[in-house]
Amino acid sequence: MLEIKNLHANVDGREILKGLDLTLPTGEVHAIMGPNGSGKSTLAYVLAGKDDYEVTEGSITWNGVDVLALAPSDRAAAGVFLAFQYPMEIPGVATMTFLRSSVNAVRKARGQEELSTPDFLRLVKEKAKTLNIDTEMLRRPLNVGFSGGEKKRNEILQMTLLEPSLCVLDETDSGLDIDALRVVADGVNALRSPERSMLVITHYQRLLDYIVPDRVHVLSDGRVARSGGPELALELEKSGYAGFGDEATAA
Amino acid sequence: MNLSVQQFRTKAEQELLDLYTKAEKTLPGAGNPFVADLREKALATYARLGLPHRRIEAWKYTDLRAHLEDVYPLATPRGAAIGANELEAALGKAIADFSAYRLVIVEGELRDDLSDISALKDAGAVIVSLAEALESPPEWLKQTLSKAGPREDDAVFALNTALMTGGVILRLPKGLTLDKPIHLIHLDGTGDPATMVTRNVIMAEEGASATVLESYGGLGMTGLQRNAVTEIEIGDKAAIHHIKFQREAVETTHLGIWLATIGADARYDAFQVSTGALLGRNQIYVGFDGEGSSTDVSGACLMRGRQHSDTTLVVEHRVPSCVSRELFKVVLDDHARGIFQGKVIVAPDAQKTDGKQMANALLLSETAEFDSKPELEIFADDVVCGHGATSGQMDEDLLFYLESRGLPEAEARAMLIQAFVGETFECVDNEALREAFAGVSADWLGVQVE
Ligand SMILES: Nc1ncnc2c1ncn2[C@@H]1O[C@H](COP(=O)(O)OP(=O)(O)OP(=O)(O)O)[C@@H](O)[C@H]1O
Ligand SMILES: [Mg+2]
Repeated sequence: MLEIKNLHANVDGREILKGLDLTLPTGEVHAIMGPNGSGKSTLAYVLAGKDDYEVTEGSITWNGVDVLALAPSDRAAAGVFLAFQYPMEIPGVATMTFLRSSVNAVRKARGQEELSTPDFLRLVKEKAKTLNIDTEMLRRPLNVGFSGGEKKRNEILQMTLLEPSLCVLDETDSGLDIDALRVVADGVNALRSPERSMLVITHYQRLLDYIVPDRVHVLSDGRVARSGGPELALELEKSGYAGFGDEATAA
Repeated sequence: MNLSVQQFRTKAEQELLDLYTKAEKTLPGAGNPFVADLREKALATYARLGLPHRRIEAWKYTDLRAHLEDVYPLATPRGAAIGANELEAALGKAIADFSAYRLVIVEGELRDDLSDISALKDAGAVIVSLAEALESPPEWLKQTLSKAGPREDDAVFALNTALMTGGVILRLPKGLTLDKPIHLIHLDGTGDPATMVTRNVIMAEEGASATVLESYGGLGMTGLQRNAVTEIEIGDKAAIHHIKFQREAVETTHLGIWLATIGADARYDAFQVSTGALLGRNQIYVGFDGEGSSTDVSGACLMRGRQHSDTTLVVEHRVPSCVSRELFKVVLDDHARGIFQGKVIVAPDAQKTDGKQMANALLLSETAEFDSKPELEIFADDVVCGHGATSGQMDEDLLFYLESRGLPEAEARAMLIQAFVGETFECVDNEALREAFAGVSADWLGVQVE
């Protein structure tokens, strides 16, 4: 279970998260919605451990583990995975080399045996296929020259390979065409399991048609302003954030 | 005030003159009037110029006169026993294992017992040691050694001509394509601190093609002052890949010069990787003498501690329709200092010139320093030329991305540094060498690569 309590976080000295509370039980999928700039990505980065996001108050625990005390790589080993809103392009790092280093680093940290090259290649090929990823793409430098959709699919491939227990997806649907959205959603749904929790950040109901959440939270000005069932997303689709008071509409 | 007139001499400047006086009679080719005259003239040039210092524009960042306090005696071959272990210790495993025709020069001596001289001759190349060639130099070599150019106003070059003792003369006859690269291995440092002056001359005749790797390594931890010049003439339609790897002990002063001239429809690709020496200065002069040719001059250097590495290159487009590309990557940690100076000269009738250069530095510490000085001297109007230089710290966002995928920080950093320098390795067309260089950077970083 993920428990976020009274989370305050600054970026560049400016408070972005202002006392955020959220509970995500193991095995559930929760959606996070909210206007631009309300702090959704900030929350995602704080969960993954980005350096320039300073937590000034509050706590985050994942299955009882103090997440904030861990280095980013240790969080990955502990099962936290963030699918980035804007995946990084890294020229000079071959995608395949990166994937293998990453998978083996995490396996090692979890006390599992590292995968041999043939086993790894077999695994990647199989998973790439289900996500409609051309293996030719994986020979290129990491995300360099990938289309927006290709980058997002690559994120989900990484998520599949690293077998996280807490998946945070930051607008994974943006930039995807209708078919790709389906493929990615299928990929995400394939990972749904009683041991795995997911936070799905999105602006659109469309993704939630495929990945049906257990609950929906609306973030506004660095706090959870409202929570509800899947129908909350439908309501927002119709009326926007107008009903959330000044805070939400001003953001 | 005329700075080129020497007013007084530093101790080292005088000692360098004394080196010559002492060795004059025993230097290779001493009995040959052409060689004797060549050396005398070069010495006079050096005596006139003195050691370069910071008030000479091209040496602004590398004050050799201030750096050089004492001059070591000229090295003498001692016939040191060299085996696979010594090679690996000096060059690292990746480069030591590189499969090639080996020419091993130990303390200036071309070592028959360690070199593949007969195999290289069987493959069609003409190879002779510098010492032997200077006893009675063939006409073409005399011409090469007397050509105008930097040898007339570069004190380091002049010193090299005056004192050159070791090296090889290599001729690739017309149309020869070698089946394997040539690896010129320079090893020093078995005895007391020494000055080592080598000259290699490579002549690629029309249509010849080859890959030549020069590597420089130290066998011990003793001081070494190296002056290493390679002259290379690329004939029409010839194609030469010329690669240098320098990994000398951190006591070393390494002064390297490459002087290349390129004929028509030819290709010259130069690539240098340095991780060693306390003070290193690599000068690369490339001149186009025939139309329709191209050159790619690239390199990477990785420095730490108080190392100082200066790459200064001059590309001269003397004829129309040639293409030049330069890409240098510099990684600096601790108090290391890196310098890149690139000058592209386009002569008045060198129309349709295409010249571009780029230098990027990655600073791993607050105290590391990178200076770059690009210069374009363009006297023609129909040209495309450009240059750029960047210097920055590691991109924290990229680092976080890798860490968030489970890579521990040190590993993630190493991966990004490898990626940074790795871009230049793509200039190396020999796959085994490319991999060897990936190994070199991993070696420098102290990480294991798969
Ligand atoms: N590195 C930063 N420096 C300064 N301000 C930042 C930085 N990162 C985020 N912010 C600010 O924090 C606020 C919240 O940003 P965040 O990216 O979390 O919003 P979001 O809810 O993800 O928005 P969107 O829907 O547009 O993705 C914004 O006002 C943004 O400008
Ligand atoms: Mg966002």
